[in-house]
Amino acid sequence: MTATVEQAFPDAGSDGGGRLSGLRTSTRARSTSSRVALGAFVLVLAYLVLVPLFKLQQLAVADDFRGYRVAFGDGRIWETVRTTVYLAVGSLAIAMVLGTGLAFAASRLPVRWRGLRSLPVLPIVVPGIASVTGWIFLLSPRPGYLNAALRNLPWWNHLEQGPVDVYSLPWIILITGFGLTSFVYLFVSSGLSGISSEHVEAAEVAGSSSIGVFFRVILPLLRPALVYGAGIALLLGLGQFAPPLLLGTNTGISVLTTDMYAATSQSPVDYGAAAAIGSPLLVFGLLVVIGQKAFLGDQARFVTHGGKGFQARRRSSPLSVLAIVLYCLVATVLPITGLLLVALSPFWSGTLDPGTFSLDSFRTVFGQSDIVTAILTSLTASLLAVLIVVPIGFVCASVLLRGQRFRILRQVLDYLVAVPLGIPAVVFGAGFLLTYSAPPFILYGTKSVIVLVYVTIMLPFATRMLLTGMTALGSSYIEASRVSGAGLLGTNLRILAPLLRSTAAGAVALIFVLLAQEFGASLLVRSSTTQVMGTVLFDYYTNGAYPTVAAVALIMTAVTAAGVVVALVLGGRNALDKL
Amino acid sequence: MSHIRVTGLGKTFPGKPPVTVVKDLDLEVEQGEFLVLLGPSGCGKTTTLRCLAGLESPTEGSITFANRTVFDAARRVDVPPNKRNIGMVFQSYALWPHMTVRRNIGYPLKVRGRKQELSEGWVEKTAALVDCGALLDRYPGQLSGGQQQRVALARGLVARPDLVLFDEPLSNLDARLRDSVRAELHELHRRLRYTAVFVTHDQSEALALGDRLAIMNAGRIEQYDTPQRVFEQPRTEYVAAFIGMANRLPVERGHEGWTCAGAPLVGLPGDGTIDGDRGALRLRSDDLLVLRPNEPAPAGATVLRGSVADAEYGGRHMDVVVVVAGQRLHARVPCGGSDGWARQLVANDAVQVAFMTSDARFYEGSGTAPAVGADPVTPQPVQA
Ligand SMILES: Nc1ncnc2c1ncn2[C@@H]1O[C@H](COP(=O)(O)OP(=O)(O)OP(=O)(O)O)[C@@H](O)[C@H]1O
Ligand SMILES: [Mg+2]
Repeated sequence: MTATVEQAFPDAGSDGGGRLSGLRTSTRARSTSSRVALGAFVLVLAYLVLVPLFKLQQLAVADDFRGYRVAFGDGRIWETVRTTVYLAVGSLAIAMVLGTGLAFAASRLPVRWRGLRSLPVLPIVVPGIASVTGWIFLLSPRPGYLNAALRNLPWWNHLEQGPVDVYSLPWIILITGFGLTSFVYLFVSSGLSGISSEHVEAAEVAGSSSIGVFFRVILPLLRPALVYGAGIALLLGLGQFAPPLLLGTNTGISVLTTDMYAATSQSPVDYGAAAAIGSPLLVFGLLVVIGQKAFLGDQARFVTHGGKGFQARRRSSPLSVLAIVLYCLVATVLPITGLLLVALSPFWSGTLDPGTFSLDSFRTVFGQSDIVTAILTSLTASLLAVLIVVPIGFVCASVLLRGQRFRILRQVLDYLVAVPLGIPAVVFGAGFLLTYSAPPFILYGTKSVIVLVYVTIMLPFATRMLLTGMTALGSSYIEASRVSGAGLLGTNLRILAPLLRSTAAGAVALIFVLLAQEFGASLLVRSSTTQVMGTVLFDYYTNGAYPTVAAVALIMTAVTAAGVVVALVLGGRNALDKL
Repeated sequence: MSHIRVTGLGKTFPGKPPVTVVKDLDLEVEQGEFLVLLGPSGCGKTTTLRCLAGLESPTEGSITFANRTVFDAARRVDVPPNKRNIGMVFQSYALWPHMTVRRNIGYPLKVRGRKQELSEGWVEKTAALVDCGALLDRYPGQLSGGQQQRVALARGLVARPDLVLFDEPLSNLDARLRDSVRAELHELHRRLRYTAVFVTHDQSEALALGDRLAIMNAGRIEQYDTPQRVFEQPRTEYVAAFIGMANRLPVERGHEGWTCAGAPLVGLPGDGTIDGDRGALRLRSDDLLVLRPNEPAPAGATVLRGSVADAEYGGRHMDVVVVVAGQRLHARVPCGGSDGWARQLVANDAVQVAFMTSDARFYEGSGTAPAVGADPVTPQPVQA
């Protein structure tokens, strides 16, 4: 060792400090410029998120609250509100029971069936509008395949239609509940993996029975996850759009979101009334977001799952395999089967004739320039939005995690990025329609407005996913780089970006999946010439071109499935959990 | 002029209520000096170090590196960490997992654009210096804890910074490895003479490595001195307790001179150097003799009577806890040879304890040793 010292440091001992002396940076200058930059950033986001909501309210209260008077003047709105609450609470109940049950089942899967754990997430992947049309093809009272099959049963063979009426409220609730189950499942399973097996074993050693352990230890420990999951599911339930729109419109079942859409799409078009109809959702969503921030506070972001994971040592049960496979069959495979059958048939009737199966409907799809354009628009708009929102999410996450010196801006940002989570996409869509059809930015009918609304509604997801990744990374890698002489930008490029690569790639793919199937906001901001997959699907459905509808739905599903595969490859096995 | 000068440093974390972690702290570190910040957990060592690094912005004071102000609260100067020309070794190593050892060590040179040093092979030479020459193409995940620590050390030193900061770099290593890395660190500093501030709460690490020690207490520096002086002449009772003088004996001045636990104290200064009438003596456990009830005490020793509360076998010695007038005193009694009787000690045995006043440090009621000039003094026994 001794010999190398002199070589390594030819003039070891002399003053090595002169190099940077004299370089002086004033705090004021440094923090002022970054404060200004951050302020501008927050302002842009505030414009994106808040102005559309503000415009809605402005219109609703204009002319002495005309919008509110039209919307709430006759008593019918209360019927709608009641239906909305039924739908939200009913689907929440179904989702909580199924989601929690499935999460427990997943924690008790036998080792070689562990892979099944991600199956309950599939309904998120299958585009909502695709699976709803799938259910219609199966359970429509007269021509639904499943109904037709059930009518062959001896005790139903006298029926002309039914036995199931998918256009009734209970079935709307049930189908919505199936979709929400996946979200509850995600939250509960990540909560479960945070409970260390020692907690459970300690209770068992202390003499609790398994049921006692469940009620006294596991449920109380899970409460935060359950409350959070229930909150999100409730918001999603209130904002449900595709199921009530497709299933309820014909039978006069309406919820706030569909009423709002009706006010903007049927004559007489009344945007003021639409805005007023959306208000209860807006207010409730904001209350939930603010309440959640106030209750969970800063801490919630720094919760780490230190435990060894509760699933590791539980006794496994073959029943759990059955439960998960059954759920996957009912919630995913069945509707897709419905789509497949219709897509392959020349037309949709209750009877199946495999002899007539063909790929004609797919040929039709690819021959229709409007559909092809819509598919391309969907892909490019989603991709563009992802490429914009993920870097924004990165900046937001950095500021939330390390921007303590910007007290107020950071607080504002914290709320700002959470707001879109509380507000249904349809409401945002309406707000964007109003904001960008008038000066200063007239973008109606362009792809830009679609991209903008996509960026806005994905802000919470992008920020949350990157925040999770960055929290897990800790601060010492960054600090080590700073003291080694790297600036902020250099540290972000050389250290943070490579270390966050898989998180960011997972976020990109997942957000793409969510956007490619986006329907609610798209339906409001689209124009007849600028369509996306979901909206052309809806138009063709309205016109009764069912095999084409089925083919488009399948193509949508294929696109999102491809996105998920990319997410899994890039983001690792647990990419889906980061939702 | 000192190389590193810290003046009136203060750090308050905002919160409800705000926490003041460092208060009015002054430090001067000479070129090439190895300063150890020593103190109990939570006293603000890491915070002070992070203020030096620029990772934390102090709320008050100023910091100067080699005549260059890097922080000044009054003038609102705060040079970011990357412009301070420092190196730092973290407790958790913080080696970047996506880079090889070579790129980890080379990083400080690379990001500072020092191509010449890179091409002159400073990375390889520094790695060789810490015995990591063979590991250059591995990733941190493929190294043992001790190897990672050495790589972190090389990364901290490679750019020959003005100042190298260490935050308990040895605390994640097991005891044996800790000793050997400590020895290497000492040797490396002796040869390279870099300026260092090293944080630890381990007393032996501090004594072994430091050219000077700064003993911290609740965000302040209690004593700033060479290891010898800190060890032998702790300036305050807090430092004395922290550095191993675990026994505390209250003393007071009565009509017939000083008494200790009711017994007359042999040889406390009765002259005018001490104003008050109360104080405490601090003693190391191996300066306290344990004697059988009738055994004669050495000449000049103060003798107290007490009883054994507990006795632990420690191989070459016994650790005996003796209760004297309600005070628990810890004595380390050699138990080889003629002192073998101590092995038989059990609870409630009556014993005598004895000590030479010259071995003890006296602290007045406030807990500060009386100072003569700048020099803290040990109370001298009255000589005939
Ligand atoms: N960001 C912060 N906000 C509030 N208080 C803090 C913060 N960081 C540290 N503290 C508090 O400051 C005090 C000193 O912390 P510091 O990390 O400097 O201690 P330390 O001397 O390094 O202790 P240890 O030996 O345990 O590492 C502690 O009481 C700690 O709780
Ligand atoms: Mg510390």
